[in-house]
Amino acid sequence: MEWTLLAQGGLNGVMLGLNYALIALGLTLIFGIMGIVNFAHGEMYMLGGYVAYYLFGLFGLNFFATLAAAAVIIGALGVLLETFIFRPLTIRPKIELTSLIAAVGLAWVFQMLAVIMFGELDRKVPSAFSGIINMSGVVITVERLAAILIGILMVVILNLFLLRTKTGRAIRAVAQDKEAAALQGVDVSRISALSFGIGCGLAAAAGALVAPIFVINPSLGNEVILKAFLVVILGGMGSVPGAMLGGLVLGFIESFGCLFFTVPTVMVLTFILIIVILIVRPEGLLGHD
Amino acid sequence: MTENRLSSYVPYMVILLLLAAIPLITQEPYVFHILCLIGINIVFACSLNAILNIGELNLAQAAFMGIGAYASTLLVTRLGLNFWLAMPAAALVATVFSLLIGLLTLRFRDAYFLLFTFLFAELVRILLSNFWIGLFGGIPGLTNIPKPRIDLGGSLVVTFDSKIAFYYLILLLTVFTVVVLRRIDGSRIGMIFKAISLSESLAESIGISTMKFKILGCAVGCFFAGVAGSMYAHFVGIITPSDFSIHAVLAPIAYVVVGGMGSVFGPVLGTAFLMVLSHFFLRQFGFYELLIYGIIIVLIIRFMPEGLISVPRVISDWWDSNGWKTGKVKGHESAGS
Repeated sequence: MEWTLLAQGGLNGVMLGLNYALIALGLTLIFGIMGIVNFAHGEMYMLGGYVAYYLFGLFGLNFFATLAAAAVIIGALGVLLETFIFRPLTIRPKIELTSLIAAVGLAWVFQMLAVIMFGELDRKVPSAFSGIINMSGVVITVERLAAILIGILMVVILNLFLLRTKTGRAIRAVAQDKEAAALQGVDVSRISALSFGIGCGLAAAAGALVAPIFVINPSLGNEVILKAFLVVILGGMGSVPGAMLGGLVLGFIESFGCLFFTVPTVMVLTFILIIVILIVRPEGLLGHD
Repeated sequence: MTENRLSSYVPYMVILLLLAAIPLITQEPYVFHILCLIGINIVFACSLNAILNIGELNLAQAAFMGIGAYASTLLVTRLGLNFWLAMPAAALVATVFSLLIGLLTLRFRDAYFLLFTFLFAELVRILLSNFWIGLFGGIPGLTNIPKPRIDLGGSLVVTFDSKIAFYYLILLLTVFTVVVLRRIDGSRIGMIFKAISLSESLAESIGISTMKFKILGCAVGCFFAGVAGSMYAHFVGIITPSDFSIHAVLAPIAYVVVGGMGSVFGPVLGTAFLMVLSHFFLRQFGFYELLIYGIIIVLIIRFMPEGLISVPRVISDWWDSNGWKTGKVKGHESAGS
């Protein structure tokens, strides 16, 4: 095996992995705070892709402004969903089950709305960056390199926000213990809505970020939520570092796996790995119980 | 006491007789085709509900139906078993898979069952589409699945070729499913399931082994998913992996939620209501039909979590608290209505 092929696989793995990590981060954040598995999370990613298609592709807005717009618009949608649909469910019994079913319904609604509004066909978003970098045989498009760098930047900003700001501390406090946080004066419902918005915004930004690299279509969310679930089990449910590590692990598995096996075989192997993890280390690679 | 219990069965008997008498009114094959699909979906929705009863959503429920369908088909076509043995055997195959998944994931809280079943649904679809194509038929699936038949010896053979004959078979199996699940629901085990779904910690604190009962509840649900799969395979005659993908579980979730989660008759009502609506009125709406299902799920969960089955009770509660008072004040005015 040539080293260039391995390096190439590694770079693709990092790009895929960062993308998975960004999606799973939002999912795990929402789960950690509210105990809600947001099944509609993949749809937020898909909608982010369409924001990029319209703002960047059709109206020619700056790419970075498009990413911010995707995060803000879909983040606001997340806040609305939390306020009007999920929060009223929390005062009733069986919140995990009812919120999940509501999320399944929402995923379906957004998917069908996207089919009706944008059509079923694949859409291509134009490239934001052109050019190819050739490092002694390892070829990467500037576009993919930019996606890696912006992805890293987004993960760093999120971590700084969670670890260094007052609001970030409040989010972590609510994730640890709702009542204790409320006793310390944290407005739990405001933090819940905010976290839901941040989670959805992250997924949308991730979707917009890679929209020029892949194609977008209304059923994109199905594929994405599957990957996010894999990452979350790999990394541990509710663990932010776990989601980042899990994302990278999955990215590498897919990228290198596809050099040796067919796509279905890679999927089966990933699945076997998940079973092994559930048996040997059920709290995930970095989860804590 | 016994007389009282007998009389409580009368409404069900009347409904059953009416259902059995439908062929007297119409013999249109399309009507019976839809009625058969409704029956299969009722069994499936009940199986989904059986797992919701332990507080879990099985996103692989359609995959278990698929396991039942493929197992039943292969047992009949490859091993030459007859349908009457293949169906329970296929349901047991689905149950064995559910036990494995239950043992693996129901040890944990934190939605691991949900996450894993979603992955399992995708895995089953991939395995059936891409591996052992000689056996599973790949993406086109399996065709020419024989209809059930009863050999009475000699030349006396009853085949279920006509839709009406199949309708009675499905009616019988649907009633069987509902009766069994109703018996479980009313038993001590059913009460334990309810306790677990309301609060797992509380159930554990009074000495219930929640994991054991959750695995049991999951196995019961998947058994009937297997039954539904076997019926589906032999009724439709063609099965493909995409029939049992993750999408196939979305409409049944709507049936259960609309009818009412938790009760046994809720899913029956919801399936019949939505499927009749869908097949006879909403067909021409295309994607809007699916959109409407999604919106209905969200609205019902948000505003009427107990579903349609709770409507009479909600109305009578409202009447007790408001109507009676108004009746007292306004006298004969409200008595008329």
